[in-house]
Amino acid sequence: MQKNIFYLVIGFVALALLLIFWYSIESFTPVLSMIAFVIGVVIIYVAYRKVDDFIEDERSARITEKAALRTFQVFWVCFCAFSIMAVMNLLYLPHFSREHWFDRASMPLSMEIMSPKMIGYVQLGLLCLMIFLYVGFRFYYARKYGDWETDEE
Amino acid sequence: MKNKIKVYRAMHDLTQEDLAKAIGVTRQTILAIEKGKYVPSLDLAFRISRHFKVNIEEVFSYDEEVRTADIK
Repeated sequence: MQKNIFYLVIGFVALALLLIFWYSIESFTPVLSMIAFVIGVVIIYVAYRKVDDFIEDERSARITEKAALRTFQVFWVCFCAFSIMAVMNLLYLPHFSREHWFDRASMPLSMEIMSPKMIGYVQLGLLCLMIFLYVGFRFYYARKYGDWETDEE
Repeated sequence: MKNKIKVYRAMHDLTQEDLAKAIGVTRQTILAIEKGKYVPSLDLAFRISRHFKVNIEEVFSYDEEVRTADIK
């Protein structure tokens, strides 16, 4: 398969997913979106493996590796920092705090900083941040390892 | 790491594309190595020097300053 056909396949899959997501939201069938997403990713992966004219050498592998590592390093700090707050929020820590240990009546009824629904949204946002981080780091390392260098040739 | 790929290419009348195809990498990789933006692996360095039928030391030379900058 040629590279251009692969890009066309990606376009078709994206369009199909968009339509399925739309239908899924309209008819409130979230499982449909989930299944469609997984199938879409599998189709793209299978198509990618059939492309002959992609040259992946050690430099491009290194760019991918570095970008993935840096993304992971930044993402896990952000995600864990937020998750610590979220877990404390969900476990309602004042129950264990020394301040209210002997006087349970003085304990505030709700110390909730963020609702569980909001926590879910923020975690979803962090996952989206991961994609942006990866793209950003990829550009950075591609530039560092001479992807946009020009030559007299 | 300094290299003389450009010199050897000129001696063998090869373009970056020709050399890249011959050793199975992209033209950008050859360009990046020539410009010192990317330090090739030992395997790739051997492949390049073998393509020019010379020893690896004749194409590549170690440069302490460049290496330090690369680590940072």
